[in-house]
Amino acid sequence: MSQETNKNESAGVDKGLVTMFLRMTVEERVQANDNAVRAILELRDAYKKRKIIESGSGCTD
Amino acid sequence: MPIKKEKLSNPDLGALIEGLTGAGVKFIIVGGLAAVVQGAPVTTMDVDIVHSQSYENISRLLKFLKSVEAVYRRPDDKLIEPDKDDFTGKGHVLLSTRLGPLDILSVIEEGNGYEDLLSHTVAMEFKGRLVRVLSLEKMIDLKERSKDPLIKKHLPILKEVLRQLDRL
Repeated sequence: MSQETNKNESAGVDKGLVTMFLRMTVEERVQANDNAVRAILELRDAYKKRKIIESGSGCTD
Repeated sequence: MPIKKEKLSNPDLGALIEGLTGAGVKFIIVGGLAAVVQGAPVTTMDVDIVHSQSYENISRLLKFLKSVEAVYRRPDDKLIEPDKDDFTGKGHVLLSTRLGPLDILSVIEEGNGYEDLLSHTVAMEFKGRLVRVLSLEKMIDLKERSKDPLIKKHLPILKEVLRQLDRL
């Protein structure tokens, strides 16, 4: 495989992040994923609440 | 058995895997979590597994599913529990549990079931127990042959993980 192909295949991949994940144990990787999922759900929830507040204040104005 | 919605907003996919292994269920982790446990920096919202379809294994699986209040994921509020017939065919059973979403697949791409995939798995220790995970090589192979661009999305990351692992 040529160097050019290698470069194209890894385009957009954060190699440092991959290295960091490979240094973790399996448990730590799953924990990192669980933490990320919780953060995503919290952000989604906050966004939904914000939308409800915005639509509510829109009605009273 | 009603499942409370607030419980679903606090998933613990690690506990789901721990529970399955603790219950003696024979399964292979596939999908996003298989990539995560092998070092891919991606995020997945659910656990995807391919299960052994032996009678004993399906009995153990059902017992575990009951313990985590598993019901079908549906757009409406109907609470439908899976039964043993759901795990004997070729279909996918997509469930909500109190520990998070769990997709139980009889087969994945090209009709590969538990027995077909076993030789393409790696055994990893997770919280003191061995879990079988679909190998990066097999995941890359299946994704490369897929026509679905969504399935191909993480291919460059998986290849980079494999490249770095080969150098270790």
